[in-house]
Amino acid sequence: MVTKRSPIRSIGFFILIIFIVSFCIFPFFQMLSTSLKYQWDWGNPSLIPTQINTEAYKELLNVGQNLKNVPESILELLENTPDMTKAQRDTILAKYRNSGDVFPFPKYFLNSLALSGVAALLSVFIAILGAYSFSRLRFTGRSTVQRGVLFVYMFGGILLLIPLYKVCVSLGFLSTKGGTFGALLVIYMVQTLPVSLYMLGNFFRTIPFSIEEAAMIEGSSRLGTIWRIIIPLSISAIITVYIYSFMIAWNEYLFASVFLKGYKDLYTLPMGLRALFVSKNAVWDRIMAASVLTATPVIALFMIIQKNLTGGLSEGGVKG
Amino acid sequence: MTNLLATQRLGQKSREQLLGWGLVFPAVFIILSLILYPIIYNIYLSFFDVNLHEGNTFTGLENHRSVLMDSFFWKSVMTTVIYVFFTTVGTTLFGLIVALVMNQDFPLRGLVRSLVLFPYVAPVISVVFAWQFIFDPVNGIVMDVLVERLGFFSERVNLIGSPSSAVWIAIIFSIWKNFPFSYLMILSRLQGIDKNLFEAAEVDGASGWERFRFITLPEIYFVTGSIILLRVIWNFNKFEEIYLLTTNVKVLSIYTYFKAFVGTMDMGQGAALALIQFLLLIGFILIYVKKVLKW
Repeated sequence: MVTKRSPIRSIGFFILIIFIVSFCIFPFFQMLSTSLKYQWDWGNPSLIPTQINTEAYKELLNVGQNLKNVPESILELLENTPDMTKAQRDTILAKYRNSGDVFPFPKYFLNSLALSGVAALLSVFIAILGAYSFSRLRFTGRSTVQRGVLFVYMFGGILLLIPLYKVCVSLGFLSTKGGTFGALLVIYMVQTLPVSLYMLGNFFRTIPFSIEEAAMIEGSSRLGTIWRIIIPLSISAIITVYIYSFMIAWNEYLFASVFLKGYKDLYTLPMGLRALFVSKNAVWDRIMAASVLTATPVIALFMIIQKNLTGGLSEGGVKG
Repeated sequence: MTNLLATQRLGQKSREQLLGWGLVFPAVFIILSLILYPIIYNIYLSFFDVNLHEGNTFTGLENHRSVLMDSFFWKSVMTTVIYVFFTTVGTTLFGLIVALVMNQDFPLRGLVRSLVLFPYVAPVISVVFAWQFIFDPVNGIVMDVLVERLGFFSERVNLIGSPSSAVWIAIIFSIWKNFPFSYLMILSRLQGIDKNLFEAAEVDGASGWERFRFITLPEIYFVTGSIILLRVIWNFNKFEEIYLLTTNVKVLSIYTYFKAFVGTMDMGQGAALALIQFLLLIGFILIYVKKVLKW
């Protein structure tokens, strides 16, 4: 419905839009701006840094950090002894790398990537089968199962945390790195599973059954049609659901904070950033740079799937 | 011939049954063993003095009793109620306003629509620090504006640092983070309203407010009602968004977390707390579904 508005109302309307947009994205600009500011510039309320400082990013991404903190004399010595092997050089340099307060951002990033990536993959795989069963096959108990899946929305993580922690300790999962990683993987998978099931189920219903029927008359089995027809036809929806599950796992902090307590090596980004924030090495530019780098992949993925996601979200009522 | 067909159909039907269950089995199995079983186990644990490595000691209702006798518990119930009430009202109202705005035509609407979703998709862990900085007493812009420019406060205060004000910051943060969900749901419902209704109303001389009151509002009643229900459920259980922003706001989830995993690590009481929290939620849902959604 397009109605003519008086100029005053149009101006009011645009001010409202500007207010909404700035409310939404101001924190992101704050993050980016602080990550690029020098410490003496923090109190400056302007979002534009007086002088750009990329040191925090370099440090987090370990760019050009090798020779930092190495005294001149040592560098000279290294230069003047060309017959030294590379291994020897590295051992000497390693001594001066201030490993104490270096934040291992790339490691945490990879941990998060591995956990979220694999958990989302498993979740989507199991959900494809389940969602197909929901949307195409008639069997007793179908609606109970479907409603049961929605029921899961009502449980907060805290209700599952204590029992799952106790079970994992009793079974000895948490005494090894692999076991801890596996336990978290399965927990992340089950957290994203209801979302995947729901969104995929809704999508599969939009695919006309006649296409499948034709294939089955040609002699294709049910599983064959899933593989040859359903998956190719809904590949964009599957990618959307994968990315959405990935984002849920990427965000998770509650379980990680309890399960990974003893394994600094396995820290995910939320764990790592939180640890950095409460440590004595907390520096705003570093924290903000790490925040920017944590948010970037998620926002980039979101931009890719945006159209599909907004459709899926409003149809499925996805958890958040 | 008819007989043959019947048996064949029956065969196909039971085959479909089998396949249906077979395909959904992995999902159901995982959900049962990682969600339903832990909930039951949580109820069980709430009756014990839980020891992580040795056996548990049965204590009956002792955990529940000491939780209910604790004044901190009631304080955290209050905090939770305040938090849930204001975040739910805030996200729903703001989501509704934004949905009404985005339902109009204006230049760059596509871009604006995707920018509005940013708070919802960004990882909590990264945006909390931006908010921390905004409210930072030394460097933050809020104190700069309130103290230096407007003179509301005579000195810079740490709003996130003190429990009485932190809950309001947590509420504003949650509204910022979650309103896009309400906005999306309401917008998609708004787009489904028959345009003829509005045109007919306009011909009849209905004002903008009347059109909203008598057409839009009844059309979005159900979706808004469901959003409120979902929001209450999710915000009642919220942990990360609050804990990562500030540990000063002791809503039930955070209180339970501290009880079970920090300091003396009393998991039995933690389990009792989680159970009581769950029962409170179920109670609310039953009343709400009956009174508001009229199912």
